[in-house]
Amino acid sequence: MSTTQMLKGILNGCILAIIKNKEVYGYELAEKLESYGFQSFSEGTIYPLLMRMQKEELVTSTLKKSTAGPRRKYYSLTPKGEIELKKFKKQWDYLQTNVNRVLTNEVEKHS
Amino acid sequence: MQVELSQKSKSFLENLRVYLFSSGKKSDEIEEIIEELESHLIEAEQHGKPIEKIIGKSPKAYMEMVSNEMAIDFRTWFQYIVIIIFGAFSFSIFQDILAGTLSYSILEIIGHIAITGIFTFLIFLVFKYISSNDFSNMIQVVILSLIGLVPVGLFFGLHFLNKSVETPIIEFGQTGSLTIAAITLLLIIGISLWAKTGILIAIVTLLTLPEYLLGKTTLIQETQLILSTIISFGGIGLYLFISSILTKDR
Repeated sequence: MSTTQMLKGILNGCILAIIKNKEVYGYELAEKLESYGFQSFSEGTIYPLLMRMQKEELVTSTLKKSTAGPRRKYYSLTPKGEIELKKFKKQWDYLQTNVNRVLTNEVEKHS
Repeated sequence: MQVELSQKSKSFLENLRVYLFSSGKKSDEIEEIIEELESHLIEAEQHGKPIEKIIGKSPKAYMEMVSNEMAIDFRTWFQYIVIIIFGAFSFSIFQDILAGTLSYSILEIIGHIAITGIFTFLIFLVFKYISSNDFSNMIQVVILSLIGLVPVGLFFGLHFLNKSVETPIIEFGQTGSLTIAAITLLLIIGISLWAKTGILIAIVTLLTLPEYLLGKTTLIQETQLILSTIISFGGIGLYLFISSILTKDR
């Protein structure tokens, strides 16, 4: 998946939504995104995004021991992150409705 | 249970560490992202995913992406440059003072500063370049040796230029030389305390003292030279070895 600004924004929103539901660590988050159909993206892409979100205080992280291998960093949403997620949802609804309206009227009418 | 990572993933993480380090990022933050990626790669490998699925087709592009999200740690950057520059200076100052009083031409002083600056800049540039490209060990060693030859060549050039071009010479005399030596010593101690490392003191001592002390003995010149080289580089090697063990234990 190419990471243009728009896609990055959408991926950001999806990450916030997944983290809100449950505290997750990186690998888990990537698997979740894949299970929702984001198949072709490089999993590592989420880390720069998470770093940015952490800097903007949308998420926080805690290190926890794991049974195998090194410690895992678990992410959870901050109050500021919740607000950002709500904003994203609103923007997405607005975009989706309008784009769908354009597509049904303009494409389907003429085909 | 400790899981072993594939060689490819291991070398990617090592390259990422060097890349971020030479990009001047904070070492705590570097270790944090390395640990996180390591854990991701271990789990991905257990599920049979190739490393490309994690970092994409271009490791370099991925390293840049990570690097862009990290703040530059100017304090540490500055620290390394100061250590390298003062290390180079104090080394030549101590060597000269043990041989007699200090006297430098303007050209020598400016040349030394310029060469040290160029070398420091090159080292950081080359580390970043090597770590983001997939070179074999052989090529890496060749590149680093070539870079190591740059200051040698430049100092050689400076030496001859200094002989053919006349610039005013500053004579420091007995008192002046001792004052400079004392200031240099204080600076070295100060820098070592500030940077919390004994490496500068160890290297300067090991490079200058053996040669000086052996000069006082009645051994023939060649034996002195060989012995001082062995003691200097053996000592530095030993110092680095011991300090790396101590760091690991912490």
